[in-house]
Amino acid sequence: MKPRVTIIDYGAGNLHSVTKAFARLDADVEIAETPELIDAARCLILPGVGAFGEGMEGLRKRSLVEPLRRYAASGRPLIGICLGAQLLMEESEEFGRHEGLGIVPGRVSLLPHAGVKIPHVGWCRIYPASDRAWQGCLLEETPVQTWTYFVHSFQCVPSDPLYSCALANYGEHAITAAVRREAVIGLQFHPEKSGTSGLAMLRTLLRSTSFS
Amino acid sequence: MPLRIIARLDIKAPNLVKGIRLEGLRVLGKPAEFAERYFEQGVDELYYQDIVASLYERNSILDLVSAAADQIFVPLTVGGGVRTVDDIRMLLRAGADKVCINTAAIRRPELIGEAARIFGTQCVVVAVEAIRQPGGNWKAFTDNGREHTNLDACEWALRAVELGAGELLLTSVDREGRRKGFDLEFIAALAGKVGVPVVAHGGAGTVEDIIKVARLGVDGVALASMLHYGDATIPEIKKALAAAGIEVRL
Amino acid sequence: MTQTSAPLETKYGLPPEVRFCKTCVISNQRPNSDIEYKHTKATKKKTIHFAEDGICDACRMAEQKKHSIKWDERERQLEALCDLYRREDGAYDCLVPGSGGKDSFYAAHVLKYKYGMHPLTVTWAPHIYTDWGRRNHERWIQAGFDNFLCTPNGRIHRLLTRLAVQNLFHPFQPFMLGQKFLAPRMAALFNLPLVFYGENEADYGNPVADAQSAQRDYAYFSSGDPSQVFFGGTSVAELKERYGVHPVDLVPYLPPNPEELREKKIEVHYLGYYLKWHPQGCYYYSVENGGFEASPERTPGTYSKYNSIDDKIDDLHYWTTYVKFGIGRATYDAAQEIRSGEITREEGVALVKRFDGEWPARFEAELMEYLSIPKKEFPVAHGAFAEPIMTKESFLRLADDFRSPHLWTKESGEWKLRHVIWDQKAS
Repeated sequence: MKPRVTIIDYGAGNLHSVTKAFARLDADVEIAETPELIDAARCLILPGVGAFGEGMEGLRKRSLVEPLRRYAASGRPLIGICLGAQLLMEESEEFGRHEGLGIVPGRVSLLPHAGVKIPHVGWCRIYPASDRAWQGCLLEETPVQTWTYFVHSFQCVPSDPLYSCALANYGEHAITAAVRREAVIGLQFHPEKSGTSGLAMLRTLLRSTSFS
Repeated sequence: MPLRIIARLDIKAPNLVKGIRLEGLRVLGKPAEFAERYFEQGVDELYYQDIVASLYERNSILDLVSAAADQIFVPLTVGGGVRTVDDIRMLLRAGADKVCINTAAIRRPELIGEAARIFGTQCVVVAVEAIRQPGGNWKAFTDNGREHTNLDACEWALRAVELGAGELLLTSVDREGRRKGFDLEFIAALAGKVGVPVVAHGGAGTVEDIIKVARLGVDGVALASMLHYGDATIPEIKKALAAAGIEVRL
Repeated sequence: MTQTSAPLETKYGLPPEVRFCKTCVISNQRPNSDIEYKHTKATKKKTIHFAEDGICDACRMAEQKKHSIKWDERERQLEALCDLYRREDGAYDCLVPGSGGKDSFYAAHVLKYKYGMHPLTVTWAPHIYTDWGRRNHERWIQAGFDNFLCTPNGRIHRLLTRLAVQNLFHPFQPFMLGQKFLAPRMAALFNLPLVFYGENEADYGNPVADAQSAQRDYAYFSSGDPSQVFFGGTSVAELKERYGVHPVDLVPYLPPNPEELREKKIEVHYLGYYLKWHPQGCYYYSVENGGFEASPERTPGTYSKYNSIDDKIDDLHYWTTYVKFGIGRATYDAAQEIRSGEITREEGVALVKRFDGEWPARFEAELMEYLSIPKKEFPVAHGAFAEPIMTKESFLRLADDFRSPHLWTKESGEWKLRHVIWDQKAS
């Protein structure tokens, strides 16, 4: 059965690249704006570019907050990308204090900026946060220290190292590259912008997801 | 952080064009062909610039942006004729990751902050087109190097960052297209002086040129003529940079 | 369009009905190149011809250049011509007049480095050099050419320019006069029988018949009778009587004697007849082969930075064509680029709308000073002018004398063109 990926459109930009990346990998792509489509999804992608407050507002306006929480609780794969990863957290301090989806415990804070530039823009090598952090998720075939593309000013800060999946070194700081709670994974970097390495991660996701 | 090697494509839809000193419309081919080649060669980023958008007060490269996003899976920055928040939204939806503004930002600097607040500072690149003045400083221009602004280019660049720009693209209009080296003094005046990434553009002809500007502390270099005319390939450039001790994504 | 009770007056013998070319942006008011030293207030202009299908001769020529002219055959003719005149005995074999702009750079360079000729270049100085124009002239020489720069007496040049403006609203005339005569005169002096100009004027709409022959008509630049000669619309006699101009002052502007030219068998050819001319291509060529520098700023009245950038008087020249014919610099530049395929007609129209007729503020002070005739510098001529000192205000007032009623109307105190290309309904 051909893999079917559902990508949420909540008015926060950057659907096109994610859509095309999955299309390139031969998956059917469905764009979802309604709770029904989220409920029925087998593999859900929450992309996102922009500010946290606006993002949450976009989800609220479309009544997608509860459906997302419900979906996450069901154990089906949910991949947050960039802003989408941050929205998975409980709250963010970007341009004021905003409540998030609360799917992954922790908050979103400004990146540490001693000795480095904000926003963090560019390629960074990612590595597992702990020994088995990448097993059983889309990173399981990714070589350690793979280059991936970041563009962000804020990072996810899980409240427990348990939820930290991948790290990257930015200057002297180890920053969050990915958070994870079971089948929910938030990638701070953009796999759809990380060249062939990024595409390979998405391929792994498609292969490991049950679509029947 | 590795130095970003960026391919800059000047576009007059539907063609890739290349001028000298931002003048002239010589057609080199179709943007998709060049972009794909650079993607395969390991380019870190692409910049698409609609060079006639401000001149004709129109926007024509949405289709090209979408097509690029179909095949290219590295970041794409799009500029040229970006005037309003709606323009930005449309470009991001079409597949751009960042947008680049110049003319509109100088005419109405509040746009920078507005865009940054809605889309995030990381989406907003402010391009500064600088022309060297007899007195030794630089003046900023708009409309693809055509219109005077009487703004000091360096002062304007600093102000743009204060207003919310997430990245600076520094273009030397005098140098661009000539492949005789960057305007190192201009770049040095700003690289390392601002808290946001700085990309140098205009004048790259040899790897040595890139090494020199890299040592000034820029975060990326935008290359056009050097790549489009085949003076060097991206793997050649990256290998030489690595050998010179400059970190690149290999 | 409202019908007036009587037809509107047309100046200069221009066509009463304004039409725009269907394929480029030029209008039928465009005057053809004229014999300048016969040019007086009463002169009626010949204008560019539009065929039945509404397409101008310049576009027609461009079509021929693209499709029907056999360029390899033309190039062979050029090679034969060069073979005939080439000298390997240490003497120049051809003369290339030019400014060091993109076209003359290309012409001299290709004749020397591709066709093996030994050109002598000559330059008739601009009224007022722009900084980059001066640098480009120098670069031209540095690219490998001997050059003679002829700069006319500054005071006489200024006086003639002022007279040309006063009587004909044509500041460029003194330049054009000297430029046309310098090459044949220098060719006679150096016994160089072969002179190469660049583009053929037919490329811009002068009658297509001219393009059939590469040799320029003697009538264009020579005359047998000095009393039939006018400068700035003023006869030589009046120049002497009223303006204190001594005969020797006019030497650079006098046409050479056609007899001498015929005796020395001086031939003038257009390189543009033999080689397909592409102005923007010449820009790239001159940058890549000689470091030519485009203007660092957009020229007022247009979008271009590489066309005709070495003389500050140009700024005024194109503004006067806008007043007299309704055709500004952007129209000229856009028409050329449309025909070369750089831009579309639609883009050209947008450029004309945006830039045509823009007042050239950048050199205004210097230009008004240039056109002024102060007593100290011009003790005789000063008294012959009602307003010897030129200001922007007096210049604009003067302009009104040259606005043809069939082109201009005044609306709420502002001059407006009656017919503009961006308001034309498709027909």
